[in-house]
Amino acid sequence: MRSKDKDAYIETLDVEGIGARAEAPNASDVAMTVDGLNLFYGDKQALKDINLDIKKGEVTAFIGPSGCGKSTLLRCFNRMNDLVDTVHITGQIRLGDKNIFDKDVDVARLRRQVGMVFQKPNPFPKSIYENVAYGLRLAGVKKKRVLDETVEWALKGAALWDEVKDRLNESALGMSGGQQQRLVIARSIAIQPDVLLLDEPCSALDPISTLKVEELIAELKKEFTILIVTHNMQQAARVSDYTAFMYLGEMVEYGETDQLFTNPEKKQTEDYITGRYG
Amino acid sequence: MSEPTQITRTRAGTFGEWYASGAPWVWMTGGAVALAGLLVVGLLALIAIRGLGHFWPSPLIEAVYVEPGKEPTPLVAQLGYSETVSTARLQSAGINVSDDQEFYERRLVKVANRDVYGADFRYLLDDWIQQRTTPEELSVFERLEWGDLYGYLIQISEQGASVGEGDLWEEFRERHGRARDLHHQIERVQEGDIGAINYALEQLRLRERRMELNDNQSEQAMAEIERQRSELNAEYAELQQELQSLNEQIQRDSITVQVQNGRTVTVSLAEVVRGYRPNAMGLVAKISFYFAKVWEFVSDEPREANTEGGVFPAIFGTVLMVMLMSVFVTPFGVVAALYLREYAKQGVVTRIIRIAVNNLAGVPSIVYGVFGLGFFVYALGGSIDELFFPAALPSPTFGTGGIFWASLTLALLTLPVVIVSTEEGLARIPRSLREASLALGATKAETLWKIVLPMSSPAMMTGLILAIARAAGEVAPLMLVGVVKLAPSLPLDGNFPYLHLDRKFMHLGFHIYDVGFQSPNVEAARPLVYATALLLVLVIVILNLAAVRIRNRLRERYRALEH
Amino acid sequence: MSHTDLHLNTHISKQFNAELDDIRQRVLTMGGLVEQQVSEAVRALTEADGELGEQVANRDYKVNAMEVGIDEECIRVLARRQPAATDLRLIMAVVKTITDLERIGDEAEKIGRMATRLASNPPPNGSLPAVEAMGRRVSSMVHRVLDAFARLDAEEALEIAKEDSKVDADFESISRQCLTFMMEDPRTIRPVMDLQWAIRALERIGDHARNISEYVIYLIQGKDVRHTSLAQVQAELEGST
Repeated sequence: MRSKDKDAYIETLDVEGIGARAEAPNASDVAMTVDGLNLFYGDKQALKDINLDIKKGEVTAFIGPSGCGKSTLLRCFNRMNDLVDTVHITGQIRLGDKNIFDKDVDVARLRRQVGMVFQKPNPFPKSIYENVAYGLRLAGVKKKRVLDETVEWALKGAALWDEVKDRLNESALGMSGGQQQRLVIARSIAIQPDVLLLDEPCSALDPISTLKVEELIAELKKEFTILIVTHNMQQAARVSDYTAFMYLGEMVEYGETDQLFTNPEKKQTEDYITGRYG
Repeated sequence: MSEPTQITRTRAGTFGEWYASGAPWVWMTGGAVALAGLLVVGLLALIAIRGLGHFWPSPLIEAVYVEPGKEPTPLVAQLGYSETVSTARLQSAGINVSDDQEFYERRLVKVANRDVYGADFRYLLDDWIQQRTTPEELSVFERLEWGDLYGYLIQISEQGASVGEGDLWEEFRERHGRARDLHHQIERVQEGDIGAINYALEQLRLRERRMELNDNQSEQAMAEIERQRSELNAEYAELQQELQSLNEQIQRDSITVQVQNGRTVTVSLAEVVRGYRPNAMGLVAKISFYFAKVWEFVSDEPREANTEGGVFPAIFGTVLMVMLMSVFVTPFGVVAALYLREYAKQGVVTRIIRIAVNNLAGVPSIVYGVFGLGFFVYALGGSIDELFFPAALPSPTFGTGGIFWASLTLALLTLPVVIVSTEEGLARIPRSLREASLALGATKAETLWKIVLPMSSPAMMTGLILAIARAAGEVAPLMLVGVVKLAPSLPLDGNFPYLHLDRKFMHLGFHIYDVGFQSPNVEAARPLVYATALLLVLVIVILNLAAVRIRNRLRERYRALEH
Repeated sequence: MSHTDLHLNTHISKQFNAELDDIRQRVLTMGGLVEQQVSEAVRALTEADGELGEQVANRDYKVNAMEVGIDEECIRVLARRQPAATDLRLIMAVVKTITDLERIGDEAEKIGRMATRLASNPPPNGSLPAVEAMGRRVSSMVHRVLDAFARLDAEEALEIAKEDSKVDADFESISRQCLTFMMEDPRTIRPVMDLQWAIRALERIGDHARNISEYVIYLIQGKDVRHTSLAQVQAELEGST
């Protein structure tokens, strides 16, 4: 069953026209829907009744103080929380019509559709090429030509191609932090996910690298739905179309970024984004 | 305003200040390191000097031993070390020394000629060895039996008839060269060809026996076996004949050597391994002689109850056993660690298992030997013999100690080290990398296989290095499960299946024990103990360095993330 | 949330608190000066006090200098603090308010100059009381809008915005009156033209005050009420409270 799914998936990989993403059959503008989501670490409730529509093709930022649950929420979208034994989840997150927490969901396939980039650049100790090809190889792509093309496309997509095209076979660990993070993004988009989760992608980067990544996010937005968790409110303001403010596991306010940053509806939001005592 | 802060030292260094500066700690810690270094260097130096000096051709002296109240006796000997002994002790030992001196120098001398004197070594009082000279003609002949022969070469005979007028030594070297060539030929025939035929005959016998046990002795098969056997026998007879003729040829020449008192000893050249005249050798000759002896030591088989010849089978056995052990312990340890760290639910049970594993490392090695003997050799080996080698019974195949069981026992002994360090390595793989792999749609198994295992390979190598270091030095358990003082054949040879896991083998550590403590000729063995110990250290160092090199290369490749 | 208080002194950064407070204070100071300019200019006009008019006209540089100073401070805060939400709206409102205040200052200067000229060449009798009433109305608008800014009172600001239409009506009626004067006696054309300029300036001041009141509403409610009808604004204000 598993390998059959895999084959089916490989067929869906748009091998010939890489970069041209097929439109989803029902062109609704919602990529993912969070419905009454509660998450518990053991007895402790970390997320409380989250409801949210993620707009397709837009950048949604999650902001909030440390421990507010924004990273936890982000990790729900590709079920990364499965790795923690004590986590217990109620409610739904729907990708298309499917609840991703259903029993028959293949987590590996879900994660190929919902890619993730982490806080610290975490390239594998392999060559630059192998890093980008990793996900493709997992998906069963074997043809050298397809791999080459996809790696190039992904690296171009991550605005990294010109910097690394002459040293694809060198270790990825020799790159700068900013390059590594863009490599990680390239690695994630190489398998052409629908949604890209970015978990504080710039927190370990210098300002210039941060700007490059932000610029990249603006580019990637054209092809992917992007969810970003950030500690940097200005960053959220810069890169996102929608912003969700979370506090103590609750979704306090969710709305257009312009609105939220000039005239937030809730006082908690106001206090947080203007740097006031809570 | 306050004065500018003083940063120059105000007081001359008092003790308190000196103490506060931390200098005593630096001295103490530095001293400890220096001491440790000194101990290591001292140990190696001691072993090296004692061991390596053995191969140097020391001069042969001719002297007269004048014991008061007795006839002076002539003496041909190599001088060994001396020690200071009190007069009283000498007197109580029955030696007639005067009380003029409180102490005497007592010296160990090697007089060789065991067949004449009965012993190779004697303790003599230094003062009484008089009229020392070093005539160039004094020769040393190393023999296959009876040890060295010291004396003057006075005659060379061919078929009993004296030959070689003029320069006898030249004549000796020529004829000795011929004898050595013949000797090597004989060896080749004996060990190579005849050995192979014997092995094939044994296999035939086992096949026949197997058929007998299985009750399917078809006429045809029996005839086939018989045919092969007669073929082999014919071949054997042929070789036997060749051997015969070679033996006759090698026995052609003999030398007569005059030892002191005018006594002569006649030795067939076939028996002489090497002849040399240490007093006539220049430095270059001595050096080349030295290296020839060292080479012989590491490449030859032992002779004379391991006190002469080389230790090659022991080196080979040690290295092979360590390698086999590595092959057994690494996969096993890694798989166990993987389960413990990655799959097992962490809790009381895993904690208990970990404690047990750690404690296993502390169990005395002889206990493993006993376990190996009881479980591997008798229980497992016995069953294997019954199941797979019934033909060879009652003589055991795997039912007795052998390199396989020895390696397995050591693998068990070193398993905790590998498990612990592999676990350590697995725990050190950053969580972020695992998550990265999972987030790209890898399953847990794929992540383990493609990311975690390669990255923790340096840690596995570290475990293996520790395992090798421990295994190569173990002797006690091996004595129970397969090491012997003299193995008839190497566990690896040209006969199919080439690697004979059931064979017994020799081991450097055990060799040291055997030569040092089980040898009839203690004085002759002592330098060999040091030399073998040095060799053992070298072998371990080389094995370790090789493993360290591999590990460093892996480490370079999987350098941990810097951030 | 309640909008009666901007909590300007509740930032975690005390420095930021101090900077925002300083800006606000300086705006109020500037407002005070402008208010004084306006009332004195009106007084000079109505009491035909040429000297006072002169003084008012010569004091305008102070207003300009204050505008420049506050502008710089706002730019500094924008560059260094990247303010958001109310902080951002405060800075934006201040930047716009001081522009309007400066313009009010300019209009006051104009009135002052006209007052000086009218003192030597007085307008016809009966023309001044209406101007005085209009001047009072405008002065009070300026005063009240600054008050609304200080107290962050959106309702008051809306009231002030309504007042502007009255000022416009005043301007209309006085203009018509002036036209009558000029038709009756052409010799009065010159002073009446000056008077006409002065009330024109007063009318402008009213417009600027209305602008400021809109900024106050924006600051408090986050809603841009420019170029919308008052009824709409009122409806929105009521809707949000």
